[in-house]
Amino acid sequence: MSLPRLASLLFILVLLLTACTPASPATPEAPTAALPEPTAAPTEVAATETVDPSISGKLVIYSGRSEPLIQPVIDAFKTEYPEVEVLLKAGSNSEIANALIEEQANTQADLFITTELFTVQSLSQQGIFQPYRPAAADQLPAEFVDPNNNWIGLTLRARVIMYNTDLVAPEDLPTSIFDLTDPKWKGKIAAAGSTNGSMQAQIAAMRQLLGEEETEAWLQGLLDNDVTFFGGHTDVRKAVGTGEFALGLVNHYYYHLQLDEGSKVGVIYPDQGDGQLGLITNATAVAVVKGAQNVSAAQAFVDFLVSEQGQKIFAEQNYEYPLLPGVPLHEGVQPLESFRLADVNIAEAALDSDATFDLMEKLELP
Amino acid sequence: MNRSDAPMPPALVSPLQRLRAASNRLTTRSASPTLLAGLAGLVALFLVVPLVYIFLRAVGADGEAWQRLLQARLWKLLGNTLLLMLAVTGGALVTGASMAWLTERSDLPGRKYFRWMFALPLAIPAYIGGIVHLALLRPRGGMLPRLLENLLGQPVYTPSPLGFWGAAFILILFTFPYVYLLSGAAFRSQHASLEEAARMLGYRPLRTFFSVTLPAMRPGLLAGALLVALDILAEYGTVALLRYETFSSAIFVQLSGRYDRSAAAVLSGVLVGLAVIILWAELRSQGQARFTQMESSWRPAPTIRLGKWRIPALLVAAGVTFTSLLVPVGVLATWSIQAVLDPDTLRSVLHSGSMGFSNFAWNSLWTSFLAALLAITLSVPVALFSVRHPSRISRFIARVCQVGYAIPGVVIALSLVLLVNRTLPFLYATPFIVVIAYVLRHMPQAVRASEAALNQVSPTLEEAARVSGRTPVQALLQVTFPLILPGLLAGGALVFLTSLKELPATLLLRPAGFDTLAVRVWMWANDGFYVQAAPAALFLVLISAVPLSFLLRREQIFK
Repeated sequence: MSLPRLASLLFILVLLLTACTPASPATPEAPTAALPEPTAAPTEVAATETVDPSISGKLVIYSGRSEPLIQPVIDAFKTEYPEVEVLLKAGSNSEIANALIEEQANTQADLFITTELFTVQSLSQQGIFQPYRPAAADQLPAEFVDPNNNWIGLTLRARVIMYNTDLVAPEDLPTSIFDLTDPKWKGKIAAAGSTNGSMQAQIAAMRQLLGEEETEAWLQGLLDNDVTFFGGHTDVRKAVGTGEFALGLVNHYYYHLQLDEGSKVGVIYPDQGDGQLGLITNATAVAVVKGAQNVSAAQAFVDFLVSEQGQKIFAEQNYEYPLLPGVPLHEGVQPLESFRLADVNIAEAALDSDATFDLMEKLELP
Repeated sequence: MNRSDAPMPPALVSPLQRLRAASNRLTTRSASPTLLAGLAGLVALFLVVPLVYIFLRAVGADGEAWQRLLQARLWKLLGNTLLLMLAVTGGALVTGASMAWLTERSDLPGRKYFRWMFALPLAIPAYIGGIVHLALLRPRGGMLPRLLENLLGQPVYTPSPLGFWGAAFILILFTFPYVYLLSGAAFRSQHASLEEAARMLGYRPLRTFFSVTLPAMRPGLLAGALLVALDILAEYGTVALLRYETFSSAIFVQLSGRYDRSAAAVLSGVLVGLAVIILWAELRSQGQARFTQMESSWRPAPTIRLGKWRIPALLVAAGVTFTSLLVPVGVLATWSIQAVLDPDTLRSVLHSGSMGFSNFAWNSLWTSFLAALLAITLSVPVALFSVRHPSRISRFIARVCQVGYAIPGVVIALSLVLLVNRTLPFLYATPFIVVIAYVLRHMPQAVRASEAALNQVSPTLEEAARVSGRTPVQALLQVTFPLILPGLLAGGALVFLTSLKELPATLLLRPAGFDTLAVRVWMWANDGFYVQAAPAALFLVLISAVPLSFLLRREQIFK
């Protein structure tokens, strides 16, 4: 083989390699006018703690929440704590949970962020977390703070039905998730599949509220109705937005995100009638991992997530329901107080997580 | 059946083989191979440990896991996987061989360009091709159905890229180049005399083709088919994307399901068993491929005039190139432009995850580069031992080093997670575990390249160096090494290319904050952000094209 050619290939490679060398880490996020010390704020509430300059180093976050939904709050945290290097690994809840269990003797993560409470509850029972109670915990509703302080709730999301307004007439709208098994919607519904945490949580909640049989019948009804199951909700919302499907079973904020893109979509908060199930909600949560390398940064991050500033980001950028009282909802988000909520016992449902997986597997839910 | 049983017709024994046989007689006497044997053995051990481990896990899984899987999933998965494998292998064979015939044997217009066009899809990972075709063709939501609906005013049926047919279609598009290259070389090297003899016997052209031309290509076609089959067993991204469940994707689902790894281990064990069978067939066919080697009396077979079939043939060739190369690259380029023009998207492209674009591009490059370097270095003792000291043991070791082909990325990852976390915790969750996975998976390519390179160098050269007073090591470094270097680099380029494209093992093994281009593309596309994913995907395809074109220039049909 001609050596000049080899040499030129190597040269190109070297060029590529050097061209792609990461920008020197010496330029972290233009110091944004060294944000004024929060203590100087004239508010009487000491909700926002003083930024401790000694907090630095790597902070490893495992997130069951998809990256676009967690990135804004990480960015905001980094402007507060420029010395902390945040390393994120996002995946599905149970995939990450499996990693945490596997790594128990060789802990890698400092923090775990999840899309639903069953996983944190279950992991907390297995001793994966260490307790931490941020000052703001007292202000959160008690049911969203673990009694042992192993995890703390962040935001609430409602399971809703979004629809394409071009494809569904107002009088035809479903009012219950059980309407989704009506043959008139055959092939017109999209949902997230069995690997999605919110879907798993919905099934776990329904098993607790309705029992195994009715839940199975509902899922079988969805399957018989040729519901298309996607890997995640972004696919679902986009498919409903473009009119590929008439209805989508999603978390409420996916409707708002799609509306933001200019699609003709509407939303139904289902099961509000007498004798009906009520609206199924679930909370996102955060927990500090036992054996975390950087506990101080992890705790600072938890503080930030439940602070007014952190909660505002979830409300404003993600359209979620913040758990910290007094943080306003994004305009257009219907307050949860106006709905009847399904009453799920999280701790109890979490004990039963294997049965939920068994059910999904038995029905071969995609 | 064993090829050593069947006496080879003397005319077909190549001069090279005779040379090799002679040289073997020489060298087995000379150097003591103990050190070499030890090194080669260590390499083989390193490669085989994860496989054995996952096998033991599968066998040791409690009966309940086996029973649950046997009842519900195992047979369906087996059926799904085999069906896809057969369909894709068949499709790739037909497409690859017919395109090779068109460029090598017919007077297809522009065949010089088509040669490149048919080989370049190897730079496009199948899942990226799948992402593009999915966005284009998705029923109702895809760009094409919507365009047609707007033009014609009513919904038009378009074929769906989802499910079995979609997965088969996409995988054929991006695996047929393997068959194309191998059968192209076989068409090239065919004896004109074979077909001439058939024609003199009064065979019509078509009959000549099916009874002489095609059978003579059997080894090349078989080798291509088996490579494709192994590829399909290991494929994760495409089948997951197009929602067709095979073993690889089911293992992934198991890993993100219940808190129990035994089901994943069981599925992995079955998958590896399946792959080992195919690998065994592949290794046998490797040996037989030498029947196509050229002789000194070789004359190229004559070009066949297409006549009135020129235009249809041209259209078919253009269609294949269009769907497998131009559409993916064109769509990615369009999306990339969109991404760059939109400030919000651009920001999320350049600054996403824990790091920015340059960071994960750099990660892709250095891990693949290191993997290539390691694989080639490790392959040298194995190749030296098996080529220079042929024996039952050295042959066994060389075979064992092919085992990576039989361990799909997801299985390697599962095995490494369990194994490394328990035995070498300091390596766990570092980028080096990703590199190790690449080496394990792609080592066979390096070993084959090194063996091929060494086979080309006559050991008499080393002998001469020894006679003139060099030590065996000096002879190796000063004489052999410079001669095999291009071959080693080709092996390295191949490992580099396949590591760049690797997805499932990287997804499972990467430490927090460590993304590669392939992972990034996958994460974005999985969330439906195709435009964000496009620049990374395009960049991945472009840098893959660099080692690929280097490799292609070494191929017979590009000389």
